[in-house]
Amino acid sequence: MSGESASAIPKGQVDLLDFIDWSGVECLNQSSTHSLPNALKQGYREDDGLHLESDADEQLLLYIPFTQVIKLHSIIVKGTEEQGPKTVKLFSNKEHMGFSNVSDYPPSDTAVLSPDNLKGKPVLVKYVKFQNVRSLTIFIEDNQSGSEITKVQKIMLYGSTVETTDMKGLKKIEDH
Amino acid sequence: MVLEATMICIDNSEWMRNGDYSPSRFQAQADAVNLICGAKTQSNPENTVGVLTMAGKGVRVLVTPTSDLGKILACMHGLEIGGDMNLAAGIQVAQLALKHRQNKKQQQRIIVFAGSPVKHEKKVLEMIGRKLKKNSVALDIVNFGEEDEGKTEKLEALLAAVNNNDTSHIVHVPAGPNALSDVLISTPIFTGDGEGGSGFAAAAAAAAAGGVSGFEFGVDPNLDPELALALRVSMEEERARQEAAAKKAAEEASKQEKGGEQQASSQDATMTERASASASEAETKTSDMMDDENALLQQALAMSMDDPAINQEAKDTDMSEAASDDPELALALQMSVSDSSKDSSSQSDMSKLLADQSFVSSILASLPGVDTNDPSVKDLMASMQNQSEQKDDDKKPPSEEEKK
Repeated sequence: MSGESASAIPKGQVDLLDFIDWSGVECLNQSSTHSLPNALKQGYREDDGLHLESDADEQLLLYIPFTQVIKLHSIIVKGTEEQGPKTVKLFSNKEHMGFSNVSDYPPSDTAVLSPDNLKGKPVLVKYVKFQNVRSLTIFIEDNQSGSEITKVQKIMLYGSTVETTDMKGLKKIEDH
Repeated sequence: MVLEATMICIDNSEWMRNGDYSPSRFQAQADAVNLICGAKTQSNPENTVGVLTMAGKGVRVLVTPTSDLGKILACMHGLEIGGDMNLAAGIQVAQLALKHRQNKKQQQRIIVFAGSPVKHEKKVLEMIGRKLKKNSVALDIVNFGEEDEGKTEKLEALLAAVNNNDTSHIVHVPAGPNALSDVLISTPIFTGDGEGGSGFAAAAAAAAAGGVSGFEFGVDPNLDPELALALRVSMEEERARQEAAAKKAAEEASKQEKGGEQQASSQDATMTERASASASEAETKTSDMMDDENALLQQALAMSMDDPAINQEAKDTDMSEAASDDPELALALQMSVSDSSKDSSSQSDMSKLLADQSFVSSILASLPGVDTNDPSVKDLMASMQNQSEQKDDDKKPPSEEEKK
């Protein structure tokens, strides 16, 4: 768990990029020039020059639906030391959330990102809460330095699909 | 054609009694609201529009976003003027109403009619604007009525805070001879973002420009859309037909120059021209011609089917006439286009037809679906044979004459 290097994909998990339903992806309060695909899409996210930026204030609300049901294992959020995200709340299977109702439901998980995380160390989520995920809402509440703008360079999601879960793989996960 | 949910915020404060916009500020505002509702619902049938009032006893939602235009227009009746406009509360309630729209896929938009002075601070308005931007709500502001320095500045600041990629607009309408709605029609509030205006807006603009006579065909598309549409469609059909006729004439003129070497191709052309000529003839109602030609066509077909020898003759005859083909061709075509009665040219035309028909029958024989042993085809040929005998007599003398 803690010994995983930043670049290795956790055992038995896949990069969930292929299962994202791009037609439904939404991001509230993003700047028009620096938008969500910069942080999510293959190729764009590797380029540190391209990042997702917040607009009116430092909060961001991302909505990512998936093409099939997945289990979410861990996420990587990369950002700059100053303006990278700090508190990240994850909501599973809540559609069309707005900034006004983020506090209405308890999040499925909350993560406070450390500078290590911002460099690429994965954050393991409460796996039991993300067993049956159709859509993921990521609420970035504030950033490291409290500045007006939050910048996210890369977001990666790791997990597995429900239908095609390999029994052997399942066993390995249960090892930790 | 953007899918949108719109909330319109009406100013029904005491300031709207003023008559500097005819007939009164409030009435002008109501007309503008009606037009906007119509435009929005027409541009996309799934669009919804809602209305709320900002003054009076307090902010009151008259109708939640709906695509039912009748409901929206009905709620504009019996509105009372009074009180003071509360811009901030109005916008916030509008935002709430949009948040609870049924179709979450719709873009959110608020249209505010700011007629009375704005009593809020610029900072408050900017904060509201930022909140709107954060929730990706677009805002259109119609600044009319009372004019004072602070008001314009505040509204501009509000717009700047909301504006995201030019989706929000502000329009300043000074008092004057032009009605409020007319001025709005040409603005992006009506025409949407970069769409160039819907048909509704264009028609309304035409109306505004020239009064009743400005309407195309003299019919108001608003009052009678079906009639206007029917008139427009028939006009386009007529135009298309005239263009086709003009093109035909041009083709015919170019065909005349080709000469006998391209007998086959000209026959093809004649065939197609005959087809189109017959079509135009039908339109010009030369029923006599059509009947004769039909009968002759059938005879020719029968002849070509069971008497190739004669057909050869006819074809040879045709070939010999090749040199003099052009004037006959021209004559034939002229005849088909105009209303001239039968003359000798009809005979030559018929010979051409025969040749054409042999061409046609040879094509038919080669077609996979046509089977000359088919009983229905045989019946047809049998009925034609009777006619064809009569036709033979007609054909032989003229061809012999021409040979001479």
